[in-house]
Amino acid sequence: MTNENMNTAASTETQPSATADPTSEPLVEQSISVDNTSDRTTVDGETVIRSKDLDVFYGETQALQSVSLEIPENQVTAMIGPSGCGKSTFLRCINRMNDLIDVARIDGELTFDGKNVYDEDVDPVALRRRIGMVFQHPNPFPKSIYDNVAYGLRIQNRDVDMDAVVEESLKKAALWDEVKDRLDESALDLSGGQQQRLCIARAIAVDPQVVLMDEPASALDPIATSKIEDLIEDLAEEYTVVIVTHNMQQAARISDTTAVFLTGGELVEFDDTDKIFEDPESQRVEDYITGKFG
Amino acid sequence: MSTDTTADAITSRPAGREARERLYRYLLFACAATSIFVTVGIVFLLAKDAIDFFTLVSPVEFFTGTTWLLPRNEFGVLPLLTGTLLVTVIAAAIALPVGVAAAVYLSEYASERARSVLKPALEILAGIPTVVYGIFALVYVTPFLRFFGLPLNTFNVLSASVMVGIMIIPMISSLSEDAMSAVPDSLREAAYGVGATKYEVSTGVVIPAAVSGIFSSFILALSRAIGETMIVAVAMGSRSRLFDFANPLQNLWQGNQPMTAAMIQINSADNVSGPGFKSMFAIGLTLFVITFLMNLVSNRIAARYREEYN
Amino acid sequence: MATPEQGIDWAGDTGQVSRLRGVAFEVTCLAAVAFALVSVLVLLLYVSADALRPFSADPGWHLVFFLTLVVPSVSAALFYYRRDEPAGEVAYATTGLPVVGVLGAAVFAVVLDIELVTAVEMFALLVSALVAAGIIAAHARYRPRAAAERMAVLFGAPVVTILGVPPAEVTMALNAALSALGLSIEFGVRLLSLREVILLTPVVPLQWIMVALSLTVPVGAVLGGYVARVRANPRAGLAFVGGAVAVSALAPLVGPVVGIGATGWILLVTFCLLPVAVYVEGVIRRREGIAGLTFPLILVGGVVLGALLADLFGFAPPDPWLDWSFLTSAHSRTPAEAGFYPPIVGSVMMLIVIALSTFPVGVGAAIYLEEYAPDSGLAGKFITLVEINIGNLAGVPSVVYGLLGLALFIRVLTMPTGAVMVGGLAIGILILPIVIISAQEAIRAVPDSHREAAYGMGATRWQTTRSVVLPQAIPGILTGTILAVGRAIGETAPLLMIGAASSVRLAPSGFFDQLPAMPRQIFAWSTNLEPEIRHGVLAAGVVTLLVVLLIMNGTAILIRNKYQREV
Repeated sequence: MTNENMNTAASTETQPSATADPTSEPLVEQSISVDNTSDRTTVDGETVIRSKDLDVFYGETQALQSVSLEIPENQVTAMIGPSGCGKSTFLRCINRMNDLIDVARIDGELTFDGKNVYDEDVDPVALRRRIGMVFQHPNPFPKSIYDNVAYGLRIQNRDVDMDAVVEESLKKAALWDEVKDRLDESALDLSGGQQQRLCIARAIAVDPQVVLMDEPASALDPIATSKIEDLIEDLAEEYTVVIVTHNMQQAARISDTTAVFLTGGELVEFDDTDKIFEDPESQRVEDYITGKFG
Repeated sequence: MSTDTTADAITSRPAGREARERLYRYLLFACAATSIFVTVGIVFLLAKDAIDFFTLVSPVEFFTGTTWLLPRNEFGVLPLLTGTLLVTVIAAAIALPVGVAAAVYLSEYASERARSVLKPALEILAGIPTVVYGIFALVYVTPFLRFFGLPLNTFNVLSASVMVGIMIIPMISSLSEDAMSAVPDSLREAAYGVGATKYEVSTGVVIPAAVSGIFSSFILALSRAIGETMIVAVAMGSRSRLFDFANPLQNLWQGNQPMTAAMIQINSADNVSGPGFKSMFAIGLTLFVITFLMNLVSNRIAARYREEYN
Repeated sequence: MATPEQGIDWAGDTGQVSRLRGVAFEVTCLAAVAFALVSVLVLLLYVSADALRPFSADPGWHLVFFLTLVVPSVSAALFYYRRDEPAGEVAYATTGLPVVGVLGAAVFAVVLDIELVTAVEMFALLVSALVAAGIIAAHARYRPRAAAERMAVLFGAPVVTILGVPPAEVTMALNAALSALGLSIEFGVRLLSLREVILLTPVVPLQWIMVALSLTVPVGAVLGGYVARVRANPRAGLAFVGGAVAVSALAPLVGPVVGIGATGWILLVTFCLLPVAVYVEGVIRRREGIAGLTFPLILVGGVVLGALLADLFGFAPPDPWLDWSFLTSAHSRTPAEAGFYPPIVGSVMMLIVIALSTFPVGVGAAIYLEEYAPDSGLAGKFITLVEINIGNLAGVPSVVYGLLGLALFIRVLTMPTGAVMVGGLAIGILILPIVIISAQEAIRAVPDSHREAAYGMGATRWQTTRSVVLPQAIPGILTGTILAVGRAIGETAPLLMIGAASSVRLAPSGFFDQLPAMPRQIFAWSTNLEPEIRHGVLAAGVVTLLVVLLIMNGTAILIRNKYQREV
């Protein structure tokens, strides 16, 4: 495996936009997927999120094709693949952020702790209070550091010791020592890496079960990135982390399980990270990982 | 965490929260719907009295009659229409070239600093009430033009129209400038790259590329001129006259009465009733339809150029 | 060997003609800008000269003020422009803020004067509103999860403390309905609200004390809280509140001496002194542009010194049309005695109606269109239609809105012809599309990533809107609204259509009284051919209107600049 190739593949990718630009590639490849795709959809560990034959359409374009996989509890699961492969779309299905896009249509089943989140009776607001999210670009509110972390507690009217939770969340996000003396200052005065850790603190302050991360380090410099990566590994002790990344080294470093999406929104392979990176079943995955394709 | 509690948690919809969300949604929707009510209200209420009017006065007489004289119950709208047209044409003759040239200066020539002063200054001009412009025309512009030997009456078309023109300049210049600023720099650079001068870039690249935006600002400004009421009510007198082709310049020196001013006059006259009073609604409806259509066209054109460059 | 004449054509020598053409074009464009600005500027100068009559003063008077006021302030302005830009902004703000404050104080003085609201009513309303807020806050604190109950408390508490059970209006309407039906039963039993109990109390302290309690104390407390927060020092906040109370307590001593009375002093403290104090505190704390603080001192010092010197040398000041008596007396047939007071009051009251009717509806509509409205499907098409419709309504002539006001409010709803309420509502409908469009722009400027962050935390749509979108959009919304309301104040045609009387001698004291309005009075004067009216009273009215507009637009632009810098 040559690292140079992987780097090029990762860095030349363009960032998928927030509205998840649908695949620009024609969908001709779908027929060949059956043969060389690993049919494995589970890995060891208790399943928290299970998707079964999940299809997503943006208007006429299909963004995900019949995706089935099971995300294990308290582990880091990485979603990798080229731009527009549907990895971010899948992430946004989990906490129903796609609901905010009018034209999105979802078929199939996606269960969280055994409950299909697309059932009629599920309240996306309540769901998102259980499944936190961290975005590609740090997006703290233009409020104080304290108010950012306390935001979720306030909107949920949590009857807790606010100061204690804020402190604990900032500690878990490895930010406490840097900001403890200036909690009243604007969050926008922090550096990019600090802002992203603040966003992580904000997400875990409400104590979710799952934390979704959409390329959380792609807008950051290498040092800030490595801090975020360390943090993610620590978080996995308490939370189930699902992370989308186009940086394969990052996926290899921090994840326990990896899902590889390729163009057309199909899940090509899903397995233990070591297995994916050392001995992938699918030739296409191997090509992608070694930089021949993507 | 067991399956049951998660399922309970994510399906829990506190009744109060749901009710509150729904309440706010409905309240906000009601706010947005008021705009529809306003339009429907204008059309319905104006049409109701306008129809009453047309049962008293035949539409043929209204649209083809050449005299507008309330005391004699003569309701020919043509003099009012030509009055409106006259004002609009003169105002356009002043405002269109000046407005576009000002927009070119602001968008292509002015330094950042000059722009930061000139744009707010023009914005403030746009905020001056039109009754004040009317007083300018009556009290200062007419004597000024007379000083140069123009045989102007106290109330005359020329100074009122000039003032309408000056009033709509800021509108044209600011909207046209927006259109010109939306032209991507790459187009300018391409022209400079083949040795074009700034003049050639402005006239040969920027203006053609922004032409739909400029055009849309024209239509909007003209609709503004057509609907302008106070300048003409203050400075143009209250006698309607059909356009006199035999003596074209004479039309400018005399007073005249466009549609808007006629509405004001009808309403402020004390004992106008019957068809006279109702005719106001017929004129109002005509005015509403004309300006509404012009705005519609202008907004469509503007939307198209925004799509092109954004 | 190439000489410049032969060879180097790329250096531009052959381009004489095209260069000339380029220069001519640039000059033409510049001339167009100059024409647009200068033509109106000259007219403004003329009308100001008519209103202020500067040439009625001794030349010596001009010289004195030129030396004491113009030279120092212009050199200060030049210095700021060249050397110290933040100071220029501070100078602008510290000069403008007191003016806006005085204007606000004047509005309140007028409100008290025409007894639209009395000091006691204000006090009673404030106390009962505070109690209601306290109940709501306490409920939120102790029963944070009872959302349904909170809705009840939210609406119930104000009813109990402010309106009474049932509200007096409901009882009145009920009794009226009963007597209309020929029944002689009267519902007299109702639970008085806290507000009504306070109003029934026979002991009423002096007016200035009531005003101080109901205005200065809350304003001082809010600003003091702000100071305490930004300084991270509760004592600074307490000192601020203490200072505010102390300065207010001087009212019975200072007020009469200055000539504005105790209540006038209190209003001035509340609207002018306290905000300026907070602004100055901020400038000093940030240490940015402190030099600008000297500018208002230069102005005030120049005026005082100039007046003293002119008095000393016996130079006669000008005798302007626009003077104190013009602003405080009613219209009269004698030009020298004609005044503008009722129209000013009428315009202010109309402004209250306009602001209260358009701001909530306009902002609500903008929120719906930007945050709630679906953008696909049949509903999405409907919303597109609504948006196109709003855009078109913004361009419909104002005279048509006047006609709508006449038809709807006077003929259908039978409100009195030419009433303040009718004028305000008709013009309110006129500026509604403008308010909606500018509020939409402000809301759209809030980055989507902030909305996503809030939704991702499990915020509901309303929570996202209230806690994330609105706080960031509010400066832009305010700017747009102030500009729109500024336009509303100058609108004349709708007033004529709803039959506003040409000259009203009494300032209105209720919202259904006859509306005198500034532009309406100006129009009435413009039909008068007397030169003293045309070049005197009329000009004074125009300048008053323009000054009010200039202050409003200046405030709006100040808010916008501050906001743009922060984003």
